Amino acid sequence: MAAIDFHALGQVVWVSLVAGVGVSVLFSLVIFGAAKAGDARREGQDGQALAFGALAVTAMVVFSVAVVVGVVVMLHKG
Amino acid sequence: MSDVVLWIVVGTALAFDFTNGFHDTANAVATSISTRAMPPRVAVSLAATLNFVGAFLSLAVAATIANGIVQADLVTPSIVFAGLVGAIAWNLATWYFGLPSSSSHALIGGVVGSAFVAGGPDAVLGGGILEKVVVPALVAPVLALVVSAIAISLAYRIVGRRRPGPVSRGFRLGQIISGSLFSLSHGTNDAQKTMGIIFLALVANGDLNASDDVPTWVVLSAATAIALGTYVGGWRIIRTMGSRIIKMDPAQGFSAQGVGAAVILSASHAGFPLSTTHVMSGAIMGAGAAKRLSAVRWGVAGNIAVAWVLTLPAAAVVGGLTYAVVALFGADEAGPIVVAALLLALLTVAFTRRLAAGRTLTAEG
Repeated sequence: MAAIDFHALGQVVWVSLVAGVGVSVLFSLVIFGAAKAGDARREGQDGQALAFGALAVTAMVVFSVAVVVGVVVMLHKG
Repeated sequence: MSDVVLWIVVGTALAFDFTNGFHDTANAVATSISTRAMPPRVAVSLAATLNFVGAFLSLAVAATIANGIVQADLVTPSIVFAGLVGAIAWNLATWYFGLPSSSSHALIGGVVGSAFVAGGPDAVLGGGILEKVVVPALVAPVLALVVSAIAISLAYRIVGRRRPGPVSRGFRLGQIISGSLFSLSHGTNDAQKTMGIIFLALVANGDLNASDDVPTWVVLSAATAIALGTYVGGWRIIRTMGSRIIKMDPAQGFSAQGVGAAVILSASHAGFPLSTTHVMSGAIMGAGAAKRLSAVRWGVAGNIAVAWVLTLPAAAVVGGLTYAVVALFGADEAGPIVVAALLLALLTVAFTRRLAAGRTLTAEG
């Protein structure tokens, strides 16, 4: 069993969990924030629309950073 | 090595690259096509373009074929050629049955078989197979399944009460991003395998030194072969991954693809490469199982798992038999010429017959 790199395996498991769940949650927040902001705007609740819009934008920015990190990782492997 | 054998190895490597492309198209586009995030032709065109671009972005070519799995000093052009034939045969067989399987494991299997016939049991390193084939094949689908199940559960919880129209449109847009990331990653990774094989053949033939840069024509031809293969598209595999494992909605499609990309890139970062096919299949199953276990067609999943178990031994048998036939003709170029001509004839027949069926499947979506 010495051939198996358990350190790398452990790293793959936890990074995959954080990155995989993180990416999915972030994009879901983008959709949730955008949808709620639209609803609030239609109902004339400008404060809520702004807050949910900010949530959507923030989640989109973090999601975009994750995509860029992914591209950097793929360019620096091997 | 004669120039004839060199060019036969180069041609066979590019043929493998092509099958690698069309076999793995499904990983990038199956979920997008299934959820109608993109029309089929647009999806494969985007995937093909990004595979082509990706091949130029990372030129850290694989140093040796099946490194650490067979005795490196035993590897000859004939062994590499026979291994490539084994991998191509397995890719074609699994494509015919619409089963997603790992092209990398098929290539390893082919070389293991030909090295075994050429050098006996001592030519194969069991520890390398355990480390680079068996353990990743066990880890990839289970990890992707679990992460995908958690991800889709949270996604449903977040967007659950929103109107379905905007939610579906949003996740479809997300699928275009995650699918593009997937295709780019595939180009940076899988085209390098072919470049590595051609580069080593050129070094063995005395045309290049090991320290030289990869020639532009090698990069261009490998990028073109994988992009063309991706564009042709393995539609039977796309249909299996897109609609036969689970019937997916856009949220499931995005979560499966997002998790798949995250797992593949995390594994690359940690230096523990996992099969793209194993990861995507597991992620799709996880996205379905989280909704309800019966949403996954476990019979189809079982067939896929059987194909994964058979990949290495089946490619090894074909690789070994091919090497035995090549060796019958002695050390000159007659063996590779005869086998390459047979392979070319078989490929021509297979593509002529299946291309029409592929178009039909495309039209059906």
